[in-house]
Amino acid sequence: MSLLSRLFANRRHELEEEVQSHLPMAIQDRMDRGESAEQAETAAICELGNVALVKDITRETWGWVRLERVAQDLKYALRQLRTSPGFAITVIGTLALGLGATGAMFTVVDRVLLRSLPYENARQIVEVKEAGRRGVRDRTPFLDLQQWRERSHTLSDIAFYSANNHVSFLEGNTGATQVVAPRVSANLFALLGTHPAIGRGFEGRPQSGSVRPQDAQTMILSDTVWRTVYGSDANILGKAIKLNGESYTVVGVMPRGFTFPFGGANPVVWTPIVLAEADAARTPTYAAIARLKSDVTLESAEAELKGIQAEVSKAYTDPYVREEVTSIHLQRYGDSLVGRDVSKALLALFGAAVVLWLIACVNVTSLLLARSTARQREIAVRGALGASRGQIVLQLLIEGLVLSGIASLLGLGLAVLTVRLFDHALTTQFNIHATLTPNASVILILLGLTLVSALLASIWPAIDAARASIEPALRQGSAQGGTGRAQHRTRALLVVSEIAMSLTLLVGCGLLLRTIYVLRHVPLGFRTDHVVVANMTIPSFRFVGRDIRTELYQPLLERVQHLPGVQSASLMTEVPLGKTFQMVFTFAVEGNTAADIRQRDLSAQFRAVGPEMQHVFGFRMADGRFFNEQDTAGSQPVVVVNRAFVKGFLGDDQDPKKILGASLIGYGKDRRAVVVGVLDDERQVSIAGQSQPEIEICIPQITPDTGFYKSAEGLAMDLAVRTERSPSSVVPELRRLMQDASPELATSNFTTMDQVVEDSYGSQQLAARLLEMFGGCALLLCVAGIYGLLAYLVTQRTRELGLRIALGAQRSDVMWLVLRQATWMLLVGSGIGLVLSYLTSVLLRTFLYGVKPNDPWTMGAVSLLLIGGGIAAAYLPARRAAGVDPMQALRTE
Amino acid sequence: MSTSMARRNQYQDRVELLQGTLDMLILQTLRSEPQHGYGIMQALRVNSGEVLQVETGSLYPALHRLERQRWVRSEWKYTESKQRAKYYRITAVGKKQLASDLSRWQRIVEAIGAVIGREPRESVA
Repeated sequence: MSLLSRLFANRRHELEEEVQSHLPMAIQDRMDRGESAEQAETAAICELGNVALVKDITRETWGWVRLERVAQDLKYALRQLRTSPGFAITVIGTLALGLGATGAMFTVVDRVLLRSLPYENARQIVEVKEAGRRGVRDRTPFLDLQQWRERSHTLSDIAFYSANNHVSFLEGNTGATQVVAPRVSANLFALLGTHPAIGRGFEGRPQSGSVRPQDAQTMILSDTVWRTVYGSDANILGKAIKLNGESYTVVGVMPRGFTFPFGGANPVVWTPIVLAEADAARTPTYAAIARLKSDVTLESAEAELKGIQAEVSKAYTDPYVREEVTSIHLQRYGDSLVGRDVSKALLALFGAAVVLWLIACVNVTSLLLARSTARQREIAVRGALGASRGQIVLQLLIEGLVLSGIASLLGLGLAVLTVRLFDHALTTQFNIHATLTPNASVILILLGLTLVSALLASIWPAIDAARASIEPALRQGSAQGGTGRAQHRTRALLVVSEIAMSLTLLVGCGLLLRTIYVLRHVPLGFRTDHVVVANMTIPSFRFVGRDIRTELYQPLLERVQHLPGVQSASLMTEVPLGKTFQMVFTFAVEGNTAADIRQRDLSAQFRAVGPEMQHVFGFRMADGRFFNEQDTAGSQPVVVVNRAFVKGFLGDDQDPKKILGASLIGYGKDRRAVVVGVLDDERQVSIAGQSQPEIEICIPQITPDTGFYKSAEGLAMDLAVRTERSPSSVVPELRRLMQDASPELATSNFTTMDQVVEDSYGSQQLAARLLEMFGGCALLLCVAGIYGLLAYLVTQRTRELGLRIALGAQRSDVMWLVLRQATWMLLVGSGIGLVLSYLTSVLLRTFLYGVKPNDPWTMGAVSLLLIGGGIAAAYLPARRAAGVDPMQALRTE
Repeated sequence: MSTSMARRNQYQDRVELLQGTLDMLILQTLRSEPQHGYGIMQALRVNSGEVLQVETGSLYPALHRLERQRWVRSEWKYTESKQRAKYYRITAVGKKQLASDLSRWQRIVEAIGAVIGREPRESVA
């Protein structure tokens, strides 16, 4: 700025000198021609004309006058704002709130919904799944997807992979690193449109896409792993690397930025899928992705695959299984990453933020309108002095831009803060692992919004002000003059729309608060207080060939149990409501009678639990007993189920006793487990969902020779500790104990059971929090809008009110006069708002639990709140109106 | 600045009226030698037989405009009477422009002359 103004000053100075140099030459000339010095000077000055004007016009030819004038307007705008800080702060605060909310929401929407996948033509990549009587199946046996490969004309290729949902360990130079190690088919990378940056991909078989057996023990690293674990080792190819204790040879490194499956916090390495005999029997299943040929729509591909699948399903001899795979479910890979309800939720929240932004804009427009009325005289004077309409509009526009410019900076800060505030919820709900900071596109959009809001808020009053005829404003000469009825009506309309939009937001907020209230009062069936949970990453590769129970779990558990302040501690593959690990138990029944089908339909949550868990969570038993210390490796194997399981198994749960003693699982030769207890209904999977069937096995009884030893004990384990001490003091001690037991355990995640429950409220909680904030802001803005309008009206009408009082109007009448206006606006606004929220709250349906979208209680309560707030806001101006001193008011005339 | 708006409009009208012609006259004047603003004014007055009286309010904007077009260049020099003044010098581009201006002017004068049937000199006066 200073450089620019110095440049201006320089050139202006030069021009001054140039024009002035004219004068002595002219005088000299005239004197040479014989005029007297005095005569010559007068004549020369006369001839030279208006020097200031000459300079003015000349400067205009420079073309930067416009710029200079804008700088002047800017200076003027800043001075204007300084003279009325209250107004400036209100406008800036209002806009910042609106922009901050939209900015924050847009950051999230941008990250979750608009993110672009790092694959070539990512829109062509689709997920292919079989579907049937029991819904969509996530994984497909090779034989079926091979049929698709051979017959489809709409897909250019199909690849398959098998992603583990547990952590693997890569043994590097400096210890073990947690990685995700999906197994992939040989054609996967090519299908995604990429190939290793160093080395080669897996050697594949062209007919099947699977990897040749000679490449079975090879591995491809992601760029991240290559850099962080192996320090960008140039000789990495051919090195032997141990993954979960097994040795692989590195054959390639993928380019930077490539990852698959998309998302996830851990770095990735890929191992090959080599087909085995089991694949001919449809035992292993894989996730299938395909690439659509160009110009093929999703619908036509799905139609074709459904036709093929009808043939494929005929190959299933068992009618039960056949019915599960009769159809096809096709979805773009990008869409499959975000659940439908999540994207709906996000869009609804984004909509709410936009509404808040609109309210802010309306409020600011209303404020600017009032201000332009108050400044009518100033504008009239400027007009009288020769300012053109364009100049006046430009001036007001620049004021608007300055206001919203400052507001957008503040709004950006607010957006960053908001996103930080909700960081935890965003991570758990949307699986976003990178820090969320507004990126360039968000900043650009924010700036765009600012510009739009500045234009919206300034142009209207500016045009209105410029259109006003100069004379009446000048002639009346009093601050109270010159406001039309039309303008009052405009402002009243603005306030009414503000009330309507706020009510809509508040109804949404109210509905979600009720949802949260209901959710919090759902009986969970276990205690959640004073429980610290560690989600352990199990280094099972260290215990290959050894018994992980006796060598890791038992000693660790004993030490934890002896920590001061610890009442009980136990292990469980996954704590209730935890979303880290899932195992499903199904019966291997072959028959097709009604009872068989019921049992085949039964898929139960499968958890391995320690006997002490009863003390930690206090599970309620419907019948029988929970595991106890007598259940050991040497004793009779026992399992515990829940009522939902009983219902699924027997067809009804009226008498849970009937299942006691039933033998459900074989633990090995001659070892069959019997049911010893039935848990009461509990919410272990989700709070909003009904109790799910569940079967629990006892950890001490799962010896290494048990069939499912590895999956039950070696993949995931949560440590739950009941303690009166605060988590912050216990967690470091627990971490130390775990680190001593095995170094990899130090990276385990710690949380509390209360937090796990909180997280499982999920999107409802997040939506409620955000809407609480948006609704609160809307209410605030609304109240401010009503107050602003009425206070302004009362000031405008002081004279009239004084006259009324002088003529005998009661103070209460005058007060009512003002309150009536407020009531009118509030009632109309609420009416429109109720209709709006009736229409829009349906969008919230997926969030709601235990409350209907058009719950009359919520709507009533929210309307009352808004009207109450509005009347309170109107009360102050009304009292001032009633307190007008007639003498004072009339004397101001 | 705003007080003078009404009168400024008058000036702008006159500048517009003379624009093309004035630019041409200035360039023509500068073709023989570099000159300062006052000098150009005097030259135009003398060469037109005291008929053309260019006002400073037209001359200086025109000079600055010509400079922006890069048809003239300016530099500060001392006059014979040791006074600092800004001299304007025609550039190569300016000479080309002048040539085209002159030929266009010639065509206009001939065309007008053909229509009115009089000598061009009289129409200027």
